[in-house]
Amino acid sequence: MIRRFAYASTVALSILCMGSGIPSQARAAEAYVPILVPITGFIAIEGTAQRNGAIQALENAPDGVSVTYEVSDTSTSPEVAVTALTRALERGKPVAAAASIFGTQMLAMAPIAKRAGVPLITVSGTAKLTELGNPYIFRFFPGDAVVKVAHARYAVETLGAKRPALLYQTTSYGQSGRAELKRILDGLGAPLVFEEALAPSVKDMLPALTKLRAANPDVILLHLHSGPTALAIRQAREAGIDLPVVAGSAMHQPTTAKLLTPAQLKGVCAESASSPISESDPKLVAFTEEFRARFKTEPDAFALAQHDGINMVLASIKDGAETAEDVRAWLSSHVFEGLAMTYKSDGKGNMAHDALIVCYDGASPVPSVAKRFHNVDGVL
Amino acid sequence: MAEAIPQLLVNGIALGAAYALIALGFVLVINAVGAVNFAQGDLVMASGFAAVILAETLSAGFGDAVPALGLLVLPLTMLVMAGLGLLFSALAYAPLRGRPPVSIFISTIAVGLILHHAANAGFGPEPRIGPALLQADTLRFGSVVLSVQQIAVIGAAGLLIAGTGALLSRTQLGRRLRAVAQDPEIAEAMGINGARCVALTFMLAVALAGAAGALLSNQFFVAPGDGGLFMLKAYIAVTLGGWGRLDGAALAALLIGVFEVMMAAYVSYVAAEALLYGGLLLVLFFRPSGLLGETIQRRT
Repeated sequence: MIRRFAYASTVALSILCMGSGIPSQARAAEAYVPILVPITGFIAIEGTAQRNGAIQALENAPDGVSVTYEVSDTSTSPEVAVTALTRALERGKPVAAAASIFGTQMLAMAPIAKRAGVPLITVSGTAKLTELGNPYIFRFFPGDAVVKVAHARYAVETLGAKRPALLYQTTSYGQSGRAELKRILDGLGAPLVFEEALAPSVKDMLPALTKLRAANPDVILLHLHSGPTALAIRQAREAGIDLPVVAGSAMHQPTTAKLLTPAQLKGVCAESASSPISESDPKLVAFTEEFRARFKTEPDAFALAQHDGINMVLASIKDGAETAEDVRAWLSSHVFEGLAMTYKSDGKGNMAHDALIVCYDGASPVPSVAKRFHNVDGVL
Repeated sequence: MAEAIPQLLVNGIALGAAYALIALGFVLVINAVGAVNFAQGDLVMASGFAAVILAETLSAGFGDAVPALGLLVLPLTMLVMAGLGLLFSALAYAPLRGRPPVSIFISTIAVGLILHHAANAGFGPEPRIGPALLQADTLRFGSVVLSVQQIAVIGAAGLLIAGTGALLSRTQLGRRLRAVAQDPEIAEAMGINGARCVALTFMLAVALAGAAGALLSNQFFVAPGDGGLFMLKAYIAVTLGGWGRLDGAALAALLIGVFEVMMAAYVSYVAAEALLYGGLLLVLFFRPSGLLGETIQRRT
């Protein structure tokens, strides 16, 4: 049984409960799973995908599992994310929370979640997040230590690149990915010949592309958010830079591909954890069709990963977990077969260990899977 | 790098020209009501979405029968936004007329937030692409590549800036608008309808934001969160140019566009940003009235 509370009704109910002296824990037997994600601001596409994936999982909770949830917008600042988490903790005792994809916000929320003893279920790729020794962080999207291996190896081993150039975001997401890419590329004997950090607000990328071209690279690596990824590819193509592009996971998102023409997409590949719209597995097809019907948009890997993460929380409740601590212990110790992949904690909260590369053929906006990288970090 | 200089300059001037349109609307409202319109950036964003919808509607209705879709969408967007400007004036300014400027600029912040969240709720967070003014193509002269859209943006923005200047300096309507901006009491004593002039100023300011939004929505896409960036650049242009100076704002906006692009190309984006704000601080320190001096001796 699922009941969805709007924010206003939650507040009203809280006031009624306080007035009648009913302890908040006794209000309902449902597990409370707040969704604290950015649905406005420059990372809203990814955050909205997260929200939709979490909602689809919660709305399809297994029989016998009763859940309530509410959505709070964390926007783009750590302060707003911390406020959203604090308010969720004040409203009740969550068994877990779907938490922001934005690493900067996760780094701010992590200590609060640890103090409160509430697991955060995220798809943030920021590597540092699971290096903090915080047992309440669970990342269901492969971290940079996994996807950047696929990113770099595909460029070097499959495309034969020897002189890669990188454009990355100035955010913690961008810097984390840049550090991993640089380390892996150095190890593969193909060090970066050019790199530049771009703020998410940068619209005109020609200056960076001009310098990039002058460095004479043989492949362009992008580690940018969705809009900037599309801008970089479009402006590169318009400037006559026809080098192959291997982009970050933002490029696999259907909303990003929609901004580019098939001709501009030719020669573009992207790393990702999955690509639901590219798969023919019946379970994934069913997920995709329900997602389309429910949200009137295409699902991406972030939506699927968040869906799998929340499903693992629901599986723990189904298996008898009653408190946040029970859920944390279950997530830490069990293997879960999700729709995208098999999830298992590496002891630090990294649950996802597979990655793939999708590529566009220049004719269709739907990419095809070019290469799969299984169990990259050897945890499974 | 040398062969890229022409395109970098074109990009810088196009960016600056779009900033100038935003800044002009900003100055018009400052002069008319003595308060900063903090919704100007979000109005640019809203006009980007208006351009997207108009283009989709015209394409759906007439298919390929509409030649130069962008050329048709630009004035239509300005018209729609002028209507929104009238509504903006009636809802966010008129009820607060005579109140301290702080009431008005808080009201404009609220309008900006409403536009931002309405766009997010209505269109979703993903960027959308507006129509190209002429065509999304490039001109090649040997190794030099120039974007047709950027050249068209410069041309359209130049015409609109010149047109705004001519309207304000050479027409009776412009004289009335300026008279109300300079001294509303005296203007009303001379029979000019101040409220109507202020409403017309809002319409013109928001129509200019509309032009900027329509022009930028093709090259740089448009997303609900874009307003803040445009607002910041317009504010800097107005401060650098001289508070209340239309010519100063346009000049400063062009300088900012070219400075940003060239500095990013030859140093880095981070340096361009830091030096822009550093330059702003220097101007405020050594020449607080801006590059061309203030026309109104009050800052909100």
